[in-house]
Amino acid sequence: MDVSRIRALRGPNLWTRNTAVEALVMCESEEEKDLSIDPQFEIKLRNLFPGIGPLRTDQKSKITIAHAIESAALHLQIEAGCPVTFSRTTKTPEDGFYQVAVEYSVEEVGKMAINFAIDLCNSALKNEDFELDRAVIKLRDLDEDLRLGPSTGSIVDAALSRGIPFRRLTEGSLVLFGWGSKQRKIQAAEMDSTSAIAESIAQDKELTKKLLHAAGVPVPMGRPVADPEDAWLAANEIGLPVVIKPRDGNQGKGVAVNLKTKEEVMQGFVNASRFSDEILLESFLPGSDYRLLVVGNKLIAAARREPPTVIGDGKSTIFELVEKVNSDPKRGDGHATSLTKIKFDDIAKARLIEQGFSDSSIPSKGTRVSLRNNANLSTGGTATDVTDDVHPEVAARAISAAQTVGLDICGVDIVCETVLQPLEDQRGGVVEVNAAPGLRMHLTPSFGKGRDVGEAVINNMFPPGQDGRIPVIAVTGTNGKTTTVRLTAHLLRTHGLRVGMTNTDGVYVNERQIDSGDCSGPRSARNVLMHPDVDAAVLETARGGMLREGLAFDRCSVAVVTNIGMGDHLGLNYITTVEDLAVLKRVIVQNVAASGMAVLNAADPMVAAMAQNCPGQVTFFALDPHHPVIATHRAQGKRVVFVEDDQMVAMQGKMSVRIPLSEVPLTRRGAIGFQIENAMASVAAAWATNIPWEVIIKGLSSFISDAVAVPGRFNVFDYKGATVIADYGHNPDAIKALVQAVSNIPATKRSVVISGAGDRRDEDIREQTRIIGEAFDEVVLYQDACQRGREDGEVIGLLRQGLEGARRTQHIEEIRGEFIAIDCAMDRLKPGDLCLVLIDQVGEALEHITKRVKKEDHAVLSTL
Amino acid sequence: MAFKDIEFLQMRYLRGPNFWTYRPVIEAWVDIGELEQFPSDKIPGFAQRLEKWLPGLIEHRCGVGERGGFVERLKTGTWPAHIMEHVAIELQTLAGMAVGFGKARETSSSGIYKVVVRTRQEQVGRESLKEAKNLVMAAINDSAYDVSATVNTLKAMVDDLCLGPSTACIVDAASDRKIPSIRLTDGNLVQLGYGALQRRIWTAETDRTSAIAESISSDKDLTKQLLSQCGVPIPEGQIVHSPEEAWEVAQSMGLPVVIKPSDGNHGRGVALDLNSAQEIKAAFRVAEVEGSDVIVERFIKGEEHRVLVVGNKVVAVAKGETATITGDGKSTVEELIESQINSDPRRGEEEGFPLDTIRLSEHQHAVLELQRQGLEPTSIPAKDRVAIVQRNGNMSYDVTDLIHPDIEQIATLAARVVGLDIAGIDLVVEDISKPLAPQGGAIVEVNAGPGLLMHIKPAVGSPRPVGRAIVDHLFGHSDSGRIPLVGILGDQQTGILSKLVAWLLHLSGRRTGLACSEGLYMNQRKVQSEDARNFDLSERILINRALDAAVFETTILQILNEGLPYDRCQVGILTNLPKEAGLEDHDIKTTDQLLSVARTQIDLVLPQGVGVINADVGEIVGLSELCDGEVILYAESPSNASIKEHLSQGRRSVYCKDGHLVMARGDQETLLFPLDFKPIAKLIKDEGLETSTLLAAVAAAWALDIAPLLIRAGLKNFGQQVANHASLLSEKSSQITKSIKN
Repeated sequence: MDVSRIRALRGPNLWTRNTAVEALVMCESEEEKDLSIDPQFEIKLRNLFPGIGPLRTDQKSKITIAHAIESAALHLQIEAGCPVTFSRTTKTPEDGFYQVAVEYSVEEVGKMAINFAIDLCNSALKNEDFELDRAVIKLRDLDEDLRLGPSTGSIVDAALSRGIPFRRLTEGSLVLFGWGSKQRKIQAAEMDSTSAIAESIAQDKELTKKLLHAAGVPVPMGRPVADPEDAWLAANEIGLPVVIKPRDGNQGKGVAVNLKTKEEVMQGFVNASRFSDEILLESFLPGSDYRLLVVGNKLIAAARREPPTVIGDGKSTIFELVEKVNSDPKRGDGHATSLTKIKFDDIAKARLIEQGFSDSSIPSKGTRVSLRNNANLSTGGTATDVTDDVHPEVAARAISAAQTVGLDICGVDIVCETVLQPLEDQRGGVVEVNAAPGLRMHLTPSFGKGRDVGEAVINNMFPPGQDGRIPVIAVTGTNGKTTTVRLTAHLLRTHGLRVGMTNTDGVYVNERQIDSGDCSGPRSARNVLMHPDVDAAVLETARGGMLREGLAFDRCSVAVVTNIGMGDHLGLNYITTVEDLAVLKRVIVQNVAASGMAVLNAADPMVAAMAQNCPGQVTFFALDPHHPVIATHRAQGKRVVFVEDDQMVAMQGKMSVRIPLSEVPLTRRGAIGFQIENAMASVAAAWATNIPWEVIIKGLSSFISDAVAVPGRFNVFDYKGATVIADYGHNPDAIKALVQAVSNIPATKRSVVISGAGDRRDEDIREQTRIIGEAFDEVVLYQDACQRGREDGEVIGLLRQGLEGARRTQHIEEIRGEFIAIDCAMDRLKPGDLCLVLIDQVGEALEHITKRVKKEDHAVLSTL
Repeated sequence: MAFKDIEFLQMRYLRGPNFWTYRPVIEAWVDIGELEQFPSDKIPGFAQRLEKWLPGLIEHRCGVGERGGFVERLKTGTWPAHIMEHVAIELQTLAGMAVGFGKARETSSSGIYKVVVRTRQEQVGRESLKEAKNLVMAAINDSAYDVSATVNTLKAMVDDLCLGPSTACIVDAASDRKIPSIRLTDGNLVQLGYGALQRRIWTAETDRTSAIAESISSDKDLTKQLLSQCGVPIPEGQIVHSPEEAWEVAQSMGLPVVIKPSDGNHGRGVALDLNSAQEIKAAFRVAEVEGSDVIVERFIKGEEHRVLVVGNKVVAVAKGETATITGDGKSTVEELIESQINSDPRRGEEEGFPLDTIRLSEHQHAVLELQRQGLEPTSIPAKDRVAIVQRNGNMSYDVTDLIHPDIEQIATLAARVVGLDIAGIDLVVEDISKPLAPQGGAIVEVNAGPGLLMHIKPAVGSPRPVGRAIVDHLFGHSDSGRIPLVGILGDQQTGILSKLVAWLLHLSGRRTGLACSEGLYMNQRKVQSEDARNFDLSERILINRALDAAVFETTILQILNEGLPYDRCQVGILTNLPKEAGLEDHDIKTTDQLLSVARTQIDLVLPQGVGVINADVGEIVGLSELCDGEVILYAESPSNASIKEHLSQGRRSVYCKDGHLVMARGDQETLLFPLDFKPIAKLIKDEGLETSTLLAAVAAAWALDIAPLLIRAGLKNFGQQVANHASLLSEKSSQITKSIKN
C-alpha cells in the first residue's frame, strides 16, 4: 500500500462541512483491495488497536486497507480526546486508488493521526508491533499543545453557538471573529477593545489603588514606612490590624499579616526590611480570597479561591497526603483539566516550614496544612463558585473597579469575610484587578456550578442579533463566473457597500487591486474576509481551491452557479464526469446559510438539480420564461429571473421588476445571450442581498463606465462586425484567463496579437504562446518596443517555439512594431471574427485602436 | 560690606486656581531685611552682574510692557523680591520649562514680601525660587555664582519630573482647546477632561488603544502576515535551503534581494541589495553559518519614512536620511566620515543639533553596515565608490506635505489592520510623493505608542501639530471633556446648599460627586466622612469616571493654601464674604483683600457658565462684572436695587415676592412655590434652612437647566433621603423621578 498526497481541507468540502484530512491511498495487492481475502489481517489490526471501530463501506465496493486507514485515523483521534466523528473512503475511477477523508479538529493532529494509521496498517501487514499508547499520547500532547486553551475555547464555543464565524490567526490564542468590517478579535480573555493603558494601570498596584480609592472602591489603605516607629504611627493612622510587606517582594517573603500590637508591628518592619529597602504598611483585610469576573458592566461570575491544602489523617505524611490529593483524575498537569496537581516544590516546602512542618511530618487528623500562600489554580489551588451569593453592593464595587481602571474584561480580586455582605460593613476591599483573567475557575470550578463566561464575552462583542457576518456571495460555474462576480460586486458597490472581490485576475477591495493573478481560491477569499474595510464579499470560487482546501467560509449568504454545461478540465483530480463536476460545484450550494439564497441557472439541468441540496431559498434564472423549472418555481411564488419582450424580469409572486435590456450595456442591447445570463445571475444575487431595485437598475446601466476607468483590462471594440478585445496581459496566468474569457464569445475565426516581455524567463515566454496555440487560428507576433536586455529577435524566437506543434494555430506572422502588428491583424478581420490584442504601450495602443474603430464610424466602447 | 541673606519665611505650592492666577504657582514669603533700604539702583554693579549672568532678562517686559522693561526697572531701582521673581522665571525658562507669570507684593509688614512664580512642576518651581534667591544674593554681594550649574540641575529635574515631550505636546494641545488635564502619576499617564467625560493618554497611547493591537504590532512576523493578507506591500520573504533555491526564489521575487538568517539580530549574516546569482549564492553561505534558517527577502530600495497615523488619518510624515561616503582612493572610511558627514553643520554632539555626529566607536550599526559592504574603519574605498554608513539616521525631515494619497491610504489601512488608533508606520520608499507599490516600496513595521518628537521638532521642515491631532481624535469638535461643576463659596449655610444642589443634580439624572464639610459623596453614597473641602479629596471626584457632575463646597483658606482642584466651573456660587479664622496668617486683613480672594469663585466661571451671586450682600454684587459667563442674582426681595437693574437688562434673578419663590427673567416671572408650601416650610423650620440658601439653590439649579418642576419636586423631597445607602436611595430617587413624570 502506498499513500500519496495528504492534504488538509480547511473548510466545507466535497466530503463534509467540517474540516478534514484527505489522503490518496493506493492499494497494491489483491489482499489490500479486499480485506476479506485475508481475515487474519483484521484480527491482527484489532489486536494492535482494539478501539479501531468497525470498518465500513457505504459503497458496493469491498472493504480495503484504505478503509482500515480511515477508521484507524478517526479512532486514534477519538482516543486522543479529539471531538471528531466523520470519516469516509471513496473509490476513484483509477483501479486500486481510494480517497480517504477523516475529520479533524486540529489540523496537525489530523495529519499525525493519518500517519499513525498508515504505520498501524503497515505493522499489521508486516506482523510487527505497534506502540499504540505512544501514538495516542503523542496525539493527545500535540492536541493539548495546539488546540485552544480553556478560556479562549469557551469564547470560541460561545461564538459558534451564536453562529459567529471564527478563525485562528496564530497558533496561540489570537482569534478573529466575524468577517470584514464586522470583525472582532480576542486573545484569551482580552478583547480588541481592551485598552492597553488600562492593562498598564492594572499592572501598577499602587496606581490601581489610587484610582479605585478615588472612585470610592474600598482598598487596603497604606503608605510606605521609614522605620519601626513610623510603622507604628502609620498603623494607628490607618487602623489596626495591619500588614507589613516589602515593596516588590515576591512569593510572600517578609510579609507579616494581621499585626495588632506595637511589638508585632515593629517586629514586622524589622523582618520585612531584610528583603527590601522600601517597606509598605497596609490595613489588613480579614477573610478569604474571592475573584469576581466583570465583563462590560456586568458581574458574570464569582469564585472563592483557596490555596492548595491537605488535611491530616493522623497516619500519612504530608508528602503522602499530597500524592493522594494529586491522584484525583480531575487534577492534571496543565490548564486542560478543572484542577491542577499540587506542586510539591521548594515554595511548598518553605510554606510547610512556616507552619512548623516538614514534608515527612504526619499532621494529626483534621489538621489543615497549606502548601502555598496564594490560591492560584495553576499551583494546585481550588475555586468554589459563589456567583449567586454576591451582594449587589459588592458587585457594584467590582464593576466600579473594572470601569475605573478601564478594563472591559476584568478579574477583580477581593478579600473579605463573605460576599453576602457589603464590603464596607466588614472591612473588605479590592486588592487587585487583573487584565486577561483566567476563566477556567469559572468555567469548571472545583466546586459549584460552572458559568458560561464565554457567552458573556461574545455577547459583549456581538449584541444580540449580530453575528459578525457580512454578505458573502460565492460564484461558481464553467463559464461567466468572472463577469458575474464583477457585475455583482458593481451592483453592491453602487449601493455604497465597500466590496471585496476575488476572481481569476485578482483580489479587489473597494476597487483597489490588492493581489493579482488567479485569485479564485480559498486563500484569496480568506484574505477578503479578514480585510477590515470589506462590507460585502463577492468570491469567485473555482474548483481547484475547493478540491485542494475546501471553502474559505463556513457558509455563504448567496451561492451562484452560472452553469456546468459540458464542463472543463475534466479528468483532473478524479473529477471525470460532468456529474462529478456538478457534485463538486454543488458544495457552495450545500453551504448556503439557512437564511441564504442559491441563484441557479434553470436552463442547465445539472445546476437546476442542485436546488434540492440548498438549505436556504432558491432563485432560478433562465432566458426562457416558459422553461418548466422557471414556470414551476414562479407558480410556487418563489423568485425567478427571466427575459420577456427584451426585458429582464425579476418576479416573486405578484411582485415583478422589469428592466429593458437596452439599459444593460453589458448585453449590447440584448444581443449577447451569455451576458444576459450573467446579468440575470448578478441581479438575482443583488436581490438576495437586499439591494434596492433602483440601485440594481442604476448599477446595471453604469457597469460600462467601470471598464473605461480601467484601460487595458478587457476593452472590447466592435470593428466591421468583428470583435476586437484589447488587454494588457503579459504572463501565462493572465493569458490563460484571457483565453478563457474570449472563449465565451462566439467567433468564426480567432486571431491574436502578442509580444513577449524580455525580462521574463524563457519558459514563461514560451508558455504564453503554448496557451495561445490551443485557442487561436491566427497569431501575429510582434517585437516589443523595449527588449529589456534581450537580443534582437530573441523574444520572437521564444514565442515561435511555444507555437511549435500548436493544435489550432494555422497562420503565424512576425511584425516589428506594435501598431503595425495591430493594423495587420485588424486588416485581416471579417464580420464574426474575434481578435485579441495583447497591448504593450497601453495608452498609445488603445488610442490607436480607438482611432481606427472611430474611422469606421460605428464605434462602441464596451467591456465584458 | 555683605548684605545678610534674604530669608524664606514660608513657601507653598498652589496646585490649582488661586489668589494669584488660574495656574499652579509657588508662593514664597521672603524677608529681605535691610535690603528694603537698598533698591537695585543703590547697589553698585548689581544690575550689570545680573544682566551678564542672565542675558535673557532683557526679554522680560515686566510692568513697563515692552522688551527690556524689567532691565529698565533694575536700573531705575526695584526691590529684591521682585528681582527674585524674574530670576526664578528666567531660570525655569533656561531649564526648558517655559513659564511667564510672576508677581511680587509687599505685605503689611515692612521688608516682607510675597513672591509668586508660575511653575509646571512643584519641585522645579521650589528649586528655581531657592536658587533665584542665591543668585540674587550673589549678584548683590558681588560673589561668585555658577549659573550653568544651576541650570543643569534644573534641567535634570525637568527631565526627571516633568511630562515627556510627547505627552506634554498632547496636554498643551488639550489646554489650547480648553480641555482640562490631571496628571495621574509621576510618569506620563494623564487624564484629559473630568469625570465621566475624561479620556486618558499615556505618551502616544490612548485609552482606546487596543492591547491586542499592541501585541500584534510587537510581533513583526504576524504583523507582516496580516498586512500582506490585506494587500499592504511588505518585504516578502521566503525560507530557502540551498544557494540554488535562493537564486531561484530571488528571481521569482524580483531583484534585488536581501539574504539573512531567520532569527538574525544585530545584522549578523545579513546581506543587502543583492543582484546577481553569484552574490546571492555567496550570501546564502554567509547567512547559513549563523545556524538558523536562511530567508530571501525582497530588498526595498529607498529611504525610511515614519508616517504617523492618528484615528485613520495621516497627520505627519518624517523622513530619515541615508548617510553615505564617496571614496577618493586615498582616505580611510573614518576620515571620509569626518570630512563628508560630520562636517555637516547640522551635526553635533549636543542636544541642540538636529543630527548626530557619527563616530564608528559608538555606532555599532554603522560598523556592521560598512562590514556588509566589505569595509573596515581603516579601509580605503576606491575612488568614486559610494558606501552607505547609516541607512536610516534620525527621522529628521518633515515631509508631511509630500505624501501621496495612495501611500496615505495604505498607511492608514496598515494601522487599521493591526487595530491601532495611533500608529507609527515605518515604510521604505524612494519617493513618498508617488504611489507605493509601483516603485517597490513597502511597509516594514507598525509601531504602537510612537514617539512624537520627530514631528514636533524636525531638523528640517515645519513642526506638525500632532498633539492637536491626537486631542481632536479623542474629543469631538465641540467637546471639552467637562462635566458640570458647581463651586460654592460663602458663609454658614454653604454645606446644606451644596447638598441641595447635589441632590437636584442627582434627581436630574446625573451621577453627582459632592465634596463638602460633611464628607465626600459619590452618586449619593458617602465614601469619606472627613471634611472634604480640600484639594486631594475633591480631586477624587474629578478622577472618578463614573460621575457626570460635581459640587464643591469651597473655603477662602482652601484658595489661599492649596488653590482649587478644578480649573473652571460651570456654576460658581458666592453667597457671602466669609470671614474665616486664620486669614490673618495670609495677611488678609481688609475687606478688599478678602474680596480679591473670594472673586476667584466667580473668576472661574466658564464663558458658557453662570455666576450665582447674593445681591443682598452689597460688597459682592460688584463681582458680577468679573464673571465670564452669565450672572443670576438672588435676593430676598425684588426691591433690591441690584436685582431691579439686573432684571431691567433682561437678565435672570431669583427672589421672594408675595410669599412665593420667584424665578424671573427680565419682566417674566415664574412662581416656583409658595414659601409656606408644607415641605418647604418644614425644611426651613426643621433643618434651619435660610430663605437665602433656598434662593441660592434654586438659582443654581436654574443655572444648571434643571426644570422648575423638578426643582420643586426635589426641594420637596430633600431631607427625606435615606442617608448613606445608595441602593435604597437610587430606588427612592427613581420612584421620585417617576412621580415627577407622573
